[in-house]
Amino acid sequence: MSGGDARYFTSYKKGEIAEWRNEINNPDRDKKKGAVKKVIAAMTVGKDVSMLFTDVVNCMQTGDVEMKKLVYLYLINYAKNQPDLAILAVNTFVKKDTQDPNPLIRALAVRTMGCIRVDKITEYLCDPLQRALDEDPYVRKTAAICVAKLFDINAELVRDRGFLHQLHDLLADSNPMVVANAVAALSEVQHSSSSGIENFTLASDTVHKLLAALNECTEWGQVFILDSISSYSPQNERQAESIIERVTPRLQHANCAVVLSAAKVLISQLEGVRNSDAVSHAVRKLAPPLVTLLSAESEIQYVALRNINLIIQRYPDVLQDEIKVFFCKYNDPAFVKQEKLETMVKLASQENIEQVLLEFKEYATEVDVEFVRKSVRAIGRCAVSIADSAERCIGVLLELIKTKVNYVVQEAIVVIRDIFRRYPDRYEGVIGALCDSLDSLDEPEAKASMVWIIGEYADRIDNAEDLMDVFLETFSDEAVDVQLQLLTATVKLFLKKPSSGPQNLIQKVLHQATSDTDDPDLRDRAYVYWRLLSSDPEAAKEVVLASKPMMSNDRAYLDLEALQQLLRQVSTLSSVYYKIPSAFAPRSTNIINGVNLDETMSSDLADSANKKGAENSASASLSPTPGVDMLADLNDGFEAAAKQSASANLDSFAAFPESPGTFLTRPSSSQASNPSSGAFAKSTLPSSRRPVLLSEHASSGLRISGSIVSRGDGMPYYDFLISNLTQKPLTGFQFQFNKNFFMLAPEQQPDDGMISPGESKSCMIPLSYLGTSAGGKASLLLQVAVKSPLQNDAIFYFNDQIPLEAILQPAAEMGFELFTEIWQSIRMVDKCTKRLDVSWPLSGASIEGALAKLENNKFNTVSLKSNDDAHVAFVMGKIMLAKSEEYILLQITFAIGTGAIDAACRSRVEGISDLTLLAVHRLMS
Amino acid sequence: MGVLMSRVMAAFGDKEARILVLGLDNAGKTTILYRLQVGAVVSTIPTIGFNVETVTFKNVKFQVWDLGGQTSIRPYWRCYYPNTTAIVYVVDSCDKERIPTSKEELQGILEEDELRNCIIMIFANKQDLPEAATEVEITEGLGLNGVKDRQWAIFKTSALKGEGLWEGMEWLSQQLKAREGKSSFWSMFGY
Repeated sequence: MSGGDARYFTSYKKGEIAEWRNEINNPDRDKKKGAVKKVIAAMTVGKDVSMLFTDVVNCMQTGDVEMKKLVYLYLINYAKNQPDLAILAVNTFVKKDTQDPNPLIRALAVRTMGCIRVDKITEYLCDPLQRALDEDPYVRKTAAICVAKLFDINAELVRDRGFLHQLHDLLADSNPMVVANAVAALSEVQHSSSSGIENFTLASDTVHKLLAALNECTEWGQVFILDSISSYSPQNERQAESIIERVTPRLQHANCAVVLSAAKVLISQLEGVRNSDAVSHAVRKLAPPLVTLLSAESEIQYVALRNINLIIQRYPDVLQDEIKVFFCKYNDPAFVKQEKLETMVKLASQENIEQVLLEFKEYATEVDVEFVRKSVRAIGRCAVSIADSAERCIGVLLELIKTKVNYVVQEAIVVIRDIFRRYPDRYEGVIGALCDSLDSLDEPEAKASMVWIIGEYADRIDNAEDLMDVFLETFSDEAVDVQLQLLTATVKLFLKKPSSGPQNLIQKVLHQATSDTDDPDLRDRAYVYWRLLSSDPEAAKEVVLASKPMMSNDRAYLDLEALQQLLRQVSTLSSVYYKIPSAFAPRSTNIINGVNLDETMSSDLADSANKKGAENSASASLSPTPGVDMLADLNDGFEAAAKQSASANLDSFAAFPESPGTFLTRPSSSQASNPSSGAFAKSTLPSSRRPVLLSEHASSGLRISGSIVSRGDGMPYYDFLISNLTQKPLTGFQFQFNKNFFMLAPEQQPDDGMISPGESKSCMIPLSYLGTSAGGKASLLLQVAVKSPLQNDAIFYFNDQIPLEAILQPAAEMGFELFTEIWQSIRMVDKCTKRLDVSWPLSGASIEGALAKLENNKFNTVSLKSNDDAHVAFVMGKIMLAKSEEYILLQITFAIGTGAIDAACRSRVEGISDLTLLAVHRLMS
Repeated sequence: MGVLMSRVMAAFGDKEARILVLGLDNAGKTTILYRLQVGAVVSTIPTIGFNVETVTFKNVKFQVWDLGGQTSIRPYWRCYYPNTTAIVYVVDSCDKERIPTSKEELQGILEEDELRNCIIMIFANKQDLPEAATEVEITEGLGLNGVKDRQWAIFKTSALKGEGLWEGMEWLSQQLKAREGKSSFWSMFGY
């Protein structure tokens, strides 16, 4: 808007909306436009003008670009408030504006549609976007960004329409702006992708195209391209060198973002170069642009300095000769000064230490206390890291102590303690000077340092005893740090000078530290010393006066791996924070952590099962057995058997003892939250050793083991352990069953958890009886197909046997009379008699024990009758077949004399008797 | 007389009579609009929203609004009612099943207070197809015979062939001129 339009911001009168509505509907174009401007002006100052939506949208079809832009502006702002009315704009967008002969209008329309985050508009965006992606370059570059916007609104739509492929094609576009925007869009998509599928990796020929486009892009386009190239891993050294060569000119760019991004590319590509000449050549090129950055505004200087401090940790030579640039100016802001100090410490060397110390000494006389302290510390850090300069540093520190400025002295003492630790027994000469300023110490750290020095050099300080005595007078008033140091120093003093004076001191201090303090650390340490001294003073000497480990150089405090990660983030916020992006931007961590999922799941389950149970869930997941007891105690209302099994089942969900990193699909929330919904059987505990169903050899690296177990209410589930022995993460498994006699089918598919290479996860798939029947004779064979989309959609097959007990229904009570009635009614259909080769007295279990085993697997004992030569048990089970219930009846005869067990089975279902007897045999042995 | 007439016309021509083209979806509204504007058949897709074009016929400028006819957007027709001079209601003569629906929508329009003074013109479209209903059938189907209190007319049209449209426009512009003449005549007497 031009300056004259400011009048539209004047105050409102009553009834303005109605007035504007009239003006908008005025046939006169100028009045109309004026009215829309008034509306936009009201909108920008926060007044709600959404009630004029249709009126404004009706102005959309116009040849006047200014008018159109105004309406677009209005739409972007208010489409969200009026999602239904927003579709009135669709025709104008799709039919008119995105097909306008003027590319500016086409681009504007596509851009605006992308900004309107309303589903009804978004669904009409695809076709115009498709057209826009292969039109005029200006439209194309706008459309490229629009794909990223659309991905943010509806990723599925972008995947379905293949827009990402088109974006990849645009990387080879003839127009550099299009290339830059395509790169920007692809990296944005990669960042916002929740599944991690949209991985934007550059191919080597694409890199060449990007490099070609680089020189002709706008500066921000260059930043996008450089950022994407920096994550490219070169195929060979030659390629890395050529990338470096072609990116180097960008270091001279006026825009500091381009410079830093180019520096990032150089650093990342240098990793692939082994030729040391080439490296040093490239590194030399890096120095001048980095130095130039320091002539910018102080905020930019700060960012540059943070990045420089990273870079020089990796390539210390880069700015070796440029240290003067980092000398603080009197008018630098504090944050820049402190960063410069850091850089100077890192760059200080034998050659330039003289200059650096002079600077530091200068800084130590400034007025900013914080900066002065940091400067004094910097002197100490130089002394610690450059051995040859230590003496000079101490000299400077002593000079500073002589100034008698309180905080300088105290900071200097802290620093000198570090120097003493780094170079033991070399500079004791300065202790005398330190002792002169004892009285001025009031900060705990300085005091503690001084006490440490006295203790450490007790044998060289003649009046150490007196000094300690003075300090100990105020023992109870000191900070804990000082108290700890006093305690240790007194012990040292005593061990070094075991005379009567120190003995008094040590008694005094031990007494105070054990009886007059609330601090457990201090008390414990005092007791340790006391015990040590009273039992074996020689051993105490060895312990307390042992030689200390060498203090390390703190200039390069980042470990190499962290440094490498941060160097990849040069010129981003992460390089200013010194944190990797996932540490402060949660969106960048997408991969679900299996362990976490398991934890939330188990606590969630326990929580919903019983409030009190939640408290136990931690212990339950650590040690399942006590957890069972505790949970069982909470379910007093249930009968004993149900109680035990219910908790066992809960335990199987909550604890999963065999593999901590598991994820599991809950069968259904009501199921889990309500333990009383069915009589759970003991077999519900998943066996810790699952049989292998699919070996990794048959499926190029996917191993699946598992078995079907009962959920307790007759609904079984498949308990899988999926191991990923491939090199890439796997996700999105789908299971399908072939036709089977019992009509089992997976009720749901495993959730989208990712299984990393080398990892195993367990998952539970609930099964239903809603599958297709295979017909014929009863069979427990189950053929399973598993599809893994990440392995080129490969499908693997395996066979499994359904354990009969897993599909038995929880049976209601059945009287003996009913049993005999059914038993006799089944004559021909399916009956089978078998001698089980288990002899009951020898198997170690009583008849009751054997029947209990069956009972736990839902074969219920109807009646147990005895005569002279045998005990006869009448047992029944119930299965679900084609939505109707079928009984399986068993008559088990335990012969008293021989110990043989005979079993007879009858059922209306053909073929089931054989299977039942096999199962009974398995369960009883 | 000629000079005077052209002055009147000029004054009138500036104002652009506002005309709404309404009707159920797939009646041919958009095709009619562009047949009138560019004189050719353009390919169309269902209109989600609206099209607005200026059509000049015999020195009279019409601002023609073609509104989407889908069930979901019919409720928004009312947003366009204010200041409307005439309504062109398009009926698909071959879609006999939906004539009752079309009647309902038309009755709604007729009852609308804001459209009280509108001229209603019905286009029985798609007459080029053999199974098309006649104008008499459409008139009955829409219950037009009951409409006594306003000017209306029905025309057999074929947007594809361009037949009947101009006859309709002719009638419409005459109605408008008559109305204009009437109002300027009465205004001389202070009404």
